[in-house]
Amino acid sequence: MSQVIVQVENLNLSYKDLHAVQNVSFYVKPGEILAIIGQNGSGKTSTVECVEGLRKPDCGLIQVFKKNPWLHRREVYKEMGIQLQEVEYPSKIKVEEQCRLFASFYKRPANWNLLLTQLGLNEKRKHPIHKLSGGEKQRLSILLSLIGRPKLLVLDELTTGLDPEVRQNMWISFENIKKSGVAIIMVSHYLDEVEALADKILYLEKGKQQFFGTQQEFRKYVKGIVPQDEWEENVSLEKLYLMIAPKTTGLTMEGIL
Amino acid sequence: MKQFMVICNIEFRLFTREFFGFFFTLVFPILMLLLFGGIYGDEPIYHGADAKIMDISVPAYSVMIIGVTGLMSLPLTLSNCIEKKIYKRFDATPAGKKSIICAQVFVNLIMTFIGISILIITGKILYHIQIKGTFLFISIGLLFSTAAMFSIGFLFTAVGRDLKSTNLLCYLCYFIMLFLSGATIPDMLFTNTIKKISNLLPMTHAVDLMQGVFAGENLLQHGTELFILGASTIICTAAGAILYRKKDWT
Repeated sequence: MSQVIVQVENLNLSYKDLHAVQNVSFYVKPGEILAIIGQNGSGKTSTVECVEGLRKPDCGLIQVFKKNPWLHRREVYKEMGIQLQEVEYPSKIKVEEQCRLFASFYKRPANWNLLLTQLGLNEKRKHPIHKLSGGEKQRLSILLSLIGRPKLLVLDELTTGLDPEVRQNMWISFENIKKSGVAIIMVSHYLDEVEALADKILYLEKGKQQFFGTQQEFRKYVKGIVPQDEWEENVSLEKLYLMIAPKTTGLTMEGIL
Repeated sequence: MKQFMVICNIEFRLFTREFFGFFFTLVFPILMLLLFGGIYGDEPIYHGADAKIMDISVPAYSVMIIGVTGLMSLPLTLSNCIEKKIYKRFDATPAGKKSIICAQVFVNLIMTFIGISILIITGKILYHIQIKGTFLFISIGLLFSTAAMFSIGFLFTAVGRDLKSTNLLCYLCYFIMLFLSGATIPDMLFTNTIKKISNLLPMTHAVDLMQGVFAGENLLQHGTELFILGASTIICTAAGAILYRKKDWT
């Protein structure tokens, strides 16, 4: 465990009466991608916000670069890049101003001009952020998470709002970032993305940890809990997940008409 | 320091892009000056007085500028950033939200002083206004008035549950103070009842203080104003700071 960048043990977090995160434990090593999966409201964002030091857990141990992120936020952020699930920027700020602003926060910022080009935002650099499309805002959000040359990236819904081609490019980019030794924690609802990128999976359900391990181990875990007649070999991660995810009824015509 | 300058530079640009703040800090006071200057010209305050109406109008409009930045521009910027969770994003960087808030306060202060400087220069050039007070006393007057208005605005952002309620508080307070403090309408025109209400408003004391120090009066003659403005600053800042701790920044 000497090389662990993030270590979480028995993390608990409540919002008034709601026990949002219960006894969650995991770790992430350099050059590893951990994907956190689960339904809406399963505690994914709450968990990563505790790792990011944005929320104070009720109890449990969290260490990021061997520091408590809640107590040593500023130090931790020097090496941690964050993409929040929902983000707004000051109204009327332009793309390049936001980049320049974020670059000023770090001693050795990345070349954001190059990142703007690579993320297809160069033509939008003089545009106010509020006039960007959802996908463009998402790309900007990714850019800002990379601007401090982080050793740990926490990405909450990395590719939400991106078109398929850009999503594929992002996967390649983050695969390369991972190879350079950066640890990545990603929250995602796209199981194809998780299958393509993640080394490990943390599966949460109603705030409780159901599984933590490699993709291979996740298959064994699912095989162990689904009835024999429902089990299928060699299926995608998405199908695997659907075998165990809590079922929802969806809309019925009866309900609509 | 370099980081702070970059933040201030961008905040300054954002300030100039907001019509309300820009117009009411830099343009509106000049329009008022030109309007009333056109009406009163070189008229003295009363028959035989040395001081002209424009001599007391400039310090009053200065307080109006402080009111715009302190009671409107800054609190609405802060409240907007809290509600839209803009600070949350900044809080997830090595700079933190405090650097951004400090820069926003700083830029509003600078814009206040720029607005007042333009006003004084215009008054000097067009209406030859007389400023008899010392630089030190005027600066102290400005400091107390600015601190009081900014701290009231700060308290509003802490009290307001959201941008809408902060907006309402700021607009109500600003316009009530603007018309009843003597910042726009000279208090000599007020009835006794309105004068009593006017005396309850911190902006009234800021106007009295600024008019006094501009006219060359000693600060000791304005102990009451200094006390009220100082006390407003301390109370509003302390109450605001306590309430801010309870705010949900996430």
